[in-house]
Amino acid sequence: MDKQKARSTEMTRRGFLKMFGSLGLVGATATLAGCSKEPMGGKGWLPQQYQAASSYPSQVRGRVPIDPNNPSIMRDDEKCILCGQCLEVCEKVQTVFGHYELPVKDEVICVNCGQCTLWCPTAAITEKDDTARVLEAIEDPDTVVVVQTAPATRVGLGEEFGLPAGSWVEGKQVAALKKLGFDYVFDTNFSADLTIMEEGTELINRITKKSKAPLPQFTSCSPGWVKFCEYYYPDLLEHMSSAKSPQQMLGALIKTYFAKEKNIDPKKIFSVSIMPCTAKKFECSRPEMNDAGLHHGDETMRDVDAVLTVRELARMIKNKGIDLNKLPEEKYDQLMGTGSGAGLIFGATGGVMEAAVRTAYFVLTKQDVPEGLLNLKPVRGLEGVKEASLDIPGVGTLRIAVAHGLSNARKLMDEVRRGESPYHFIEIMCCPGGCISGGGQPRTALPPSNEVREKRIASLYAKDASYKLRLSHENPEILALYEKYLEHPISHLAHELLHTEYTSRGDKLTAKGSKLG
Amino acid sequence: MSKGVLVDLTKCIGCGSCTVACKLYNDNKFEKDSPAIGENPKLTDENWTIVTAKKTEKDGQPVWRYVKQQCLHCEHPACASACFAKAFQKTEEGPVIYYPHLCVGCRYCMLACPFDIPKYQWEKSFPLVTKCQMCSGKVAKGEAPACVSVCPTNVMTFGERDEILALAKKTIESDSKYVKHIYGEKEAGGTDWIYISDVPFEQLGFRTDVTTTPLPEYSHSFLKYTPYVIVGWGSLLTGMYLYTKRRNKIAQEEKKDVHL
Ligand code: SF4
Ligand code: SF4
Ligand code: SF4
Ligand code: SF4
Ligand code: SF4
Repeated sequence: MDKQKARSTEMTRRGFLKMFGSLGLVGATATLAGCSKEPMGGKGWLPQQYQAASSYPSQVRGRVPIDPNNPSIMRDDEKCILCGQCLEVCEKVQTVFGHYELPVKDEVICVNCGQCTLWCPTAAITEKDDTARVLEAIEDPDTVVVVQTAPATRVGLGEEFGLPAGSWVEGKQVAALKKLGFDYVFDTNFSADLTIMEEGTELINRITKKSKAPLPQFTSCSPGWVKFCEYYYPDLLEHMSSAKSPQQMLGALIKTYFAKEKNIDPKKIFSVSIMPCTAKKFECSRPEMNDAGLHHGDETMRDVDAVLTVRELARMIKNKGIDLNKLPEEKYDQLMGTGSGAGLIFGATGGVMEAAVRTAYFVLTKQDVPEGLLNLKPVRGLEGVKEASLDIPGVGTLRIAVAHGLSNARKLMDEVRRGESPYHFIEIMCCPGGCISGGGQPRTALPPSNEVREKRIASLYAKDASYKLRLSHENPEILALYEKYLEHPISHLAHELLHTEYTSRGDKLTAKGSKLG
Repeated sequence: MSKGVLVDLTKCIGCGSCTVACKLYNDNKFEKDSPAIGENPKLTDENWTIVTAKKTEKDGQPVWRYVKQQCLHCEHPACASACFAKAFQKTEEGPVIYYPHLCVGCRYCMLACPFDIPKYQWEKSFPLVTKCQMCSGKVAKGEAPACVSVCPTNVMTFGERDEILALAKKTIESDSKYVKHIYGEKEAGGTDWIYISDVPFEQLGFRTDVTTTPLPEYSHSFLKYTPYVIVGWGSLLTGMYLYTKRRNKIAQEEKKDVHL
């Protein structure tokens, strides 16, 4: 043993000295370094803005921090060129980065909006890919895979297949989902209508003082906005409508109402949603989004099991060799597959407000909704903050405001905080333009352009105008749902399944320029 | 005059821009299995700088702090003292740089560095030693190092060492959140990259047991960091060779790195 060791030591030493002596290594390293006598390093490149002599920092620099456990977005470092675009949109458009004091506390501040995935020139930042989990569920014969599609998806998906911006592909999208093997295809437009019933009733209760909750009421369907409010305006959370987002309402109903109607064991259901949004991935993972589970006594059951962005759906379709353009138009499944024009326009900034006003008018006056409310111009379009006053006969003036993009949301929120907000109802959409330009939509212009946004929006409004069913409260499937299952808006069961609570995240950061939080 | 960099750890958000800039500028590879950021990144021959997410505590509250590591560019570099081939040299501007054409591959620098910075290209057939060069080419042109220039929150300030040291002193004196310690002011006899923090350096994984005595140039006093090695050139060479080999094996087996 000892001898062997000694010998190997000696051999090693001999080898080492030999290497030394023969200059082999020296020669080799010199060759490797191209015979250069330069110091190591500096053989690569940097974007031009970082190459100026001086230590003045360039204006646009670096990138957003991303937590490896972020449920919505991820980054491939190898593709990052430090262009600073993600930071630009996060800081200037969404006012998330750079709006908290340093040092940080104990999380990476992000509202999961995914706008950075739309601005990143190299697509280093992408949505977190959940397609594998969905494919696995589809392949399992014991699992009933139910899918819902958000309003804005049907004016985005076509762009991934070479169609012009805003092309209407609702029926083809349904056909593609069936072809991919989803067992039931429902429409989030249906639960957008349901949101109007619940959120509208809540608003009326606040206005008529039946409820103690304060005015203005804020819409709650945009999860990036909700998280932003939890971070930066936690003192205003009482204003947030308790109604869940359409995605989460439909998720809860799929594992209760649908399961009951079809006599399916809810444990066997895998619930997927196709969303224009990366924040929806975060929303479905919020711990409290398990109301169907609690209803069945199993708190581990999620209301929505997986969220796919439109881009992920497009990849799945392409990977299966399906040509969307060649598919026939198919219809959503019955029970929760009908949506009104009001539900459809949820996809555009101002759409939730318009939909809510249509129904609120009817509920408050019991009169037919006038033509002006079917084309509520003041809240349409891409202006950052929009407002309107509506005279409701026998009730008074309803003051409303709409903002999209979180920098615009701040303007309305600061007003509320100062106690100067004149409004009854405020709609906020996290992403500029609303969901049609959400962080999960196709990268049709880089960075996203208003031209593309306008085309998608126009497509939604044109369809709404062409529909017979334009009012949420006239949706026959909604009426059937209340009749057969929920009884009435904000009933006990509706409260259990369709409403939620919010968490202050004010202790996760120190907001700049405020002593709050 | 020697240049230096002040790293204010209270401003770091862990975005990792600095690690990407270093790889872009120095043409270093991205390796999926050894990330340069996260909870457990490692300095390697391709990662000359890393940013570690430290989940720690301050005033009894959980806090996350991010620690950027790279060569500290010692004023009296032990790596250069140890290198009899003069492959490591301290420049006038501050950077401690490495000349591949002079390196004989003995790896004494790796043993000598009190911060465990130099890394060996174990996977290459003609391996070299690697470490942060403080972007010596940029610094020579009056540009800030790559990592410094891309940082979105200005964690790092590049300048004359005495000026950044004065800035560090002023900063920690004027703001009570900082711990009253400038890491690198005295460590290893003084380094050109210096750090300030609001959380004690031990908690962030900094090695606080390094000597504050300057390591006299070319004195080989680096041996104090390798006490197992028997003095005497012949056995020393063998001993060190085996030692580094074993150390590498251990490091590879345990897949873990040691202190800053
Ligand atoms: S997802 Fe939104 S909040 Fe998060 S880093 Fe990207 S732009 Fe910022
Ligand atoms: S936008 Fe993309 S490429 Fe540009 S800095 Fe951000 S992650 Fe890197
Ligand atoms: S930190 Fe280590 S490698 Fe860098 S100069 Fe000092 S001794 Fe040399
Ligand atoms: S100074 Fe240059 S070589 Fe050193 S870590 Fe920064 S970018 Fe890399
Ligand atoms: S670029 Fe700046 S903020 Fe980002 S990890 Fe590096 S030091 Fe920290």
